[in-house]
Amino acid sequence: MQRRAHATWVIFLTFFIAYLLAIVPFPDWAMNYRPEWVPMVLIYWAMALPHRVGIGSAWVAGIVLDVLEGSVLGLNALGLVLIAYITLNLHLRLRMFSALQQAGLVLALVGINLVLHHWLRIMTNQTDSSGLMFLMAALTSAIIWPSLFQLLRQTRRSFDVH
Amino acid sequence: MLSICIMFADSRFGYLERVRFGLGYLTTPVYWVADTPARVSFWIDDVFVSRTDLLEENEQLREALLVAQRELQLLESLASENNRLRDLREATQVIPGEVLPAEIINVSPDPYAKRVLINKGAEDGVFIGQALLDANGLMGQVVEVLPFTSWVLLITDSHHVTPVEVNRNGERALARGSRSTASELELEFVTQTQDMLAGDLLVSSGMGQVYPKNYPVAEITSVYADPGQDFATVTARPLADLASTRHVMLVFASEETLIPEPVFETEQQVEAVADDNQVSQLDAGQDNL
Repeated sequence: MQRRAHATWVIFLTFFIAYLLAIVPFPDWAMNYRPEWVPMVLIYWAMALPHRVGIGSAWVAGIVLDVLEGSVLGLNALGLVLIAYITLNLHLRLRMFSALQQAGLVLALVGINLVLHHWLRIMTNQTDSSGLMFLMAALTSAIIWPSLFQLLRQTRRSFDVH
Repeated sequence: MLSICIMFADSRFGYLERVRFGLGYLTTPVYWVADTPARVSFWIDDVFVSRTDLLEENEQLREALLVAQRELQLLESLASENNRLRDLREATQVIPGEVLPAEIINVSPDPYAKRVLINKGAEDGVFIGQALLDANGLMGQVVEVLPFTSWVLLITDSHHVTPVEVNRNGERALARGSRSTASELELEFVTQTQDMLAGDLLVSSGMGQVYPKNYPVAEITSVYADPGQDFATVTARPLADLASTRHVMLVFASEETLIPEPVFETEQQVEAVADDNQVSQLDAGQDNL
């Protein structure tokens, strides 16, 4: 621990880009396929730097996302905290996983997040959706995960974030 | 984990409006950056345009303005005539509200919630319940105000009901947003005998006191009266260009356009009524002219 809290801005920047991608308008038909960028970025940082990005950061990131999306305050926060908790518990094993296994876990985590969102949205009367199309976002997230993982790992190494 | 649940429960009951409002300052830059591609493309459209195109467009706009001005002249005489008639009937006068131009900068990421974000917020005097229009008709109402932006619930959202009336004969109805992802309205509780036809124009009726009266809302596309059902199935297509427009207007309605009953704004007027009824009417007429 002789060098602590190095290059925090890189983490902020990746989250900022994830927020941008999360709110950029999509055509209507593609809305259900939008990958969940913020949860994925969170999974990466919680796995790579568990001592830096934990449940607290997940909660703050979620609140900001809630305000951005105009959803009920705490909706995304709850989902992201859950994701961070599971990831932190598994982070040592996750690092050993192959890309495919990791993608599978991302599929499960993002899926849990989406189902939670869906339930809470229905509870708070924010949506009327029927069907399971909203789960497609988990699939696209899992497909994108390996390349996002490589990209974030290279970013982390080149900026020496630890 | 527990604290999250408490936070979530709180937000349902609206204790956290202030927190959300404060966080709005933080999130504004994100919207600004996300909107950059659209602004750049508009800028490019503006810059790389030929002189002849500009002249042509200018000509067209001039003609359109001329036509619009002529219609406005007719409308003004009609409006004053209408007000005189209303004076005679001692009804409330209709005063057009002021508008504030705004731009749509984002849409809700949830495909089932039809909400848009506009670039005007509390700093511009936007308030909850304010009506949003585009050039063709009513779009929706403001449901959440942030410092520099606001969320607007569109009339086609399934949780939104617009009080409307048929322009032709004044039949009243409630227009609810469609429950599917389609951008249309369903008229609720229309009896089989009500006089509604496909092609009828629906205007806001001013009931509910959220929307100002007489703004065009939608056009009826189909009326289906099944004798076995209690109510007829009526669908309507919103007139506002909900999917692709960017330029919109916020209405600052004067109080009298919202409130159907005659209301005296100042005590003087009330006293004047007590003194002499005719004089007060004259006063009100002068105020509004």
